[in-house]
Amino acid sequence: MNEAGFKKLLLGAGIALILLFYLSPVIWMAVVSLSKNADFLSRGRIEITCENFKNIFRERTLYFPFYLKNSLIVGFFSALFATLFGGLAAYILTRTDSRLKKILMVGVLAVSMFPQISLAGYLFRMMTSAGLINTYTALILPYISWCLPFALWILMGYFSQIPRDIDAAALIDGADRFRAFSRIIVPLALPGLLSTFLLVFIFAFNEFLFALMLTTDHNARTVPVGISLFEGLHGELPWGNIMAASLISALPLILLALFFQRYIFKGLSGGAVKQ
Amino acid sequence: MNKHRADLLFLAPLFLFVLLFVLVPVIGALINSLFRDVSFLPVKFTGLMNYIRLSGDSAFRKAVVFTLLFSAVSVFLEMAAGILTASVINEEFRMRGLIRGIVLIPWAIPNVIGARMWQFIYQFEYGVHNFFMKALFGMPENWLGSPAGAFSALVAADVWRTTPFVAIIILAGMQNLPTSIYDQAKVDGAGMIARFFRITLPALKPILLIALIFRTIDALRIFDVILVMTGGGPGGTTSSISLLGYKAFLQGDFGYGSAISVAIFLLAFVIAMVYLKAGRIKEEI
Amino acid sequence: MRLIKHICLAIALILTIVSCARQEKKLTIVLGGAPSEVKYLESLIGDFSRKSGTEVSVIRQPTDSDQRRQGLLIPLKAGEADPDVFLMDVVWVGQFAASGWLLPLQEYMKEDGFDSSIFFSSVFDRADTFRGAVVALPVYVDTGIMFYRKDILDKYGLDLPANWLGLIDIARKVQEKERSSNGAFYGYVWQGAQYEGLVCNFIEISSAYGGCIINENGKVSLKSPENIAALEQMIALISDNGISPPNTFTEMKEEESRIFFQNGNALFERNWPYAWRLHESDGSPVKGKTGIMPLPVGPSGHRASALGGWHVGISRSSDLPEEAWELVKFLVSREVQRSLCLELGWNPGRKDLYEDPDIAARIPHIAVLKTAFESSVARPSAPFYTHISEIVQKYINAALSRNMTAQEALSAAQKEVERIMTLYNE
Repeated sequence: MNEAGFKKLLLGAGIALILLFYLSPVIWMAVVSLSKNADFLSRGRIEITCENFKNIFRERTLYFPFYLKNSLIVGFFSALFATLFGGLAAYILTRTDSRLKKILMVGVLAVSMFPQISLAGYLFRMMTSAGLINTYTALILPYISWCLPFALWILMGYFSQIPRDIDAAALIDGADRFRAFSRIIVPLALPGLLSTFLLVFIFAFNEFLFALMLTTDHNARTVPVGISLFEGLHGELPWGNIMAASLISALPLILLALFFQRYIFKGLSGGAVKQ
Repeated sequence: MNKHRADLLFLAPLFLFVLLFVLVPVIGALINSLFRDVSFLPVKFTGLMNYIRLSGDSAFRKAVVFTLLFSAVSVFLEMAAGILTASVINEEFRMRGLIRGIVLIPWAIPNVIGARMWQFIYQFEYGVHNFFMKALFGMPENWLGSPAGAFSALVAADVWRTTPFVAIIILAGMQNLPTSIYDQAKVDGAGMIARFFRITLPALKPILLIALIFRTIDALRIFDVILVMTGGGPGGTTSSISLLGYKAFLQGDFGYGSAISVAIFLLAFVIAMVYLKAGRIKEEI
Repeated sequence: MRLIKHICLAIALILTIVSCARQEKKLTIVLGGAPSEVKYLESLIGDFSRKSGTEVSVIRQPTDSDQRRQGLLIPLKAGEADPDVFLMDVVWVGQFAASGWLLPLQEYMKEDGFDSSIFFSSVFDRADTFRGAVVALPVYVDTGIMFYRKDILDKYGLDLPANWLGLIDIARKVQEKERSSNGAFYGYVWQGAQYEGLVCNFIEISSAYGGCIINENGKVSLKSPENIAALEQMIALISDNGISPPNTFTEMKEEESRIFFQNGNALFERNWPYAWRLHESDGSPVKGKTGIMPLPVGPSGHRASALGGWHVGISRSSDLPEEAWELVKFLVSREVQRSLCLELGWNPGRKDLYEDPDIAARIPHIAVLKTAFESSVARPSAPFYTHISEIVQKYINAALSRNMTAQEALSAAQKEVERIMTLYNE
């Protein structure tokens, strides 16, 4: 066989393997969520039903819609502010040549490597004394801080590609820095801002440990914590319901991944490759 | 002068947030770890008591060993799977965008949801794993009930959810490789596989190091997957350091929990330093 | 400057979100248990709301008692105004009270002329008072009992086992025979997962063998020969005798074993009295076929049932203590206790209901419960009980999963519990 043919074969096998590896657990989750009895494998037959999906929305004290709403709100505001603050800092840092810059950037990156558990205990105490436990703010503030270093790195990658002359010209024309940033840089770096927004949103939507320690009930609790506590709400693990809730919560993220894969790839790799 | 003040204002939110909600809590944990801070006893300064207790705690020692072993095995597998995935999605083919999107899914959905999925796969009575075990060997197996089984199940779940991240970073590195490096090899008639090992892989070294650092640091703080899938069982054999810290907090012992937090922080720091040192030495040579 | 204006705007926005999330004052109760139990409790709370005009919001918790404790610990430690009222496992009351999270109730009791002698004094004095203050009231008292399949024992002409060895023997024989028609049949199901219920199962067998966790002198005696023998028997149930399912030590909690038995797949089941009503419910495959007996006697000549039970308390940070007290009174009232007993099979914490003719008629096994209640053993009581429990759970579970021998596990547990005791004993 010639090399091109071999390569084609290899590529086909690789794609098949990727689909199997990355997708099959998700498909399995979908099948379980649609089946009437989670033990259909040992029963040997499967009954399809929407009951599980109805259940998680109908059962009032399960609070699943609350969790979903909380996650979306927390994710949105965390992403908004992290992108905004990261953008402001990235703009200045790409426009100056201070020696401090490098130290600053490495320092900030090191911060993002702290294990969450190292912060969680004291954050709990801070939020307690501020009376913020079980509010969106208790989650949004640490999420912004936690994602800022990452946002900064991604955005610096984008901003540094915009020639300095462009906004320097605006500054000479009498615009202040902020106007130059909002009128010139932001429109030009829109894809980068979108990447950052998406990444922070996904992070905040998925974060578990802070949410577990800083919220107490459906007024602020997010989806991951809600799903981890699903256990036993119906006595035995209600697998059908858990899978239905998981699928619905994962859906927005799956759609983001499929539709915005280009931006997510760019953002994630931008942060790392520019190092 | 005024211009500089304006610049600082741009940086202020970044500093303020990182200081208040990252640095202050870490320093707070450090201070807290020097106190006996238990919900049902009066707070008392005890110096290094919590650390002395930590050093004699067999559960902590086991958790450190587990965490290191888990990180080593899963990061190694993730790097391998990541390179394979990146090589495939780097090629030109129809629907590549869709496949790339699919690759992102495990990374994009919450860890807890991924862990729930895997937990159900291993569920004793209805799981797909035991369905195959019964079909192949006639006997179901309590996979999450043995330390080796639980360990490998956790590694599998972790590899599944984080390989996309590794693949993305490696893909970016591949796209940045100049095609010219392959020209000489093509003239020499080196085969595709040989080219991959002789040229692509060495050229990717810096990017692999970056992926390795990110992933190791992340793997060391493994928490949610374990909490959902095994809860640290069976018999505490899959307890990670983070899980131990969380459990200490929930027992009401914030001083001891803080000491554990500081320990994992130092561990992550030391390992990052080792990597960076190793990376820099290579650069100099 | 515009930037400042924007940042101010952002902060204002954050504050708006905060105020949206902040709840108005509301009476909140945390409930947990099997789904049918929670459903019924919710309907009772609904009655309370209608009668008193106080709106109550219910927060459901899982059945797993460790998760239930964790769910309470965060808001209580944080001093949150919600939840106001919650149910506590008897073993948490010590920690919650010592941490100052529980509202003392004696003032309210005095004001209302509420008489505490209606409760079993053994329970009330031991579990509900802390350093002279009343911190909780018993909602129900619980104790481990053995369910068995009357029909299957009859089929093989077998009598009830007199002791543990007899139970194992019968379970093994019946399992062998039943397997020909039901491949998933097991002789005996119990709670072996790594959680609080495992400690209850352990102390029952341990006491029957003459062992204990902490002896009368306050010394840890986990690695006693009695305990080693007891633990070896528990291990053998799963491995040597094979009469308990292999997933006993990973997945079996109360509801898992109840459903296992209820599906007709087990001969014996160790559980709490609540399972009775569910076994006897319509549509249950074991309806009318289930018998109840006290746990068997062990080599020491004694039988022992773990003392459990749930108590209701009020958070010290409650923003509506008056209303909360009304709700607590409602939950321990004769009327509610009676319907909880009849509907859910919960043993009342009130003595006066044990003579109730309706209850005696509807719950024929109340005599068995009394025997079990009389021979009950309490888990160690200390503010750091959950620490002890976590260690014991971990090592017993390690032994059940055969990662350690009984002796290794108990020696290691002994050492760790001793360390905890010296650490936290003032």
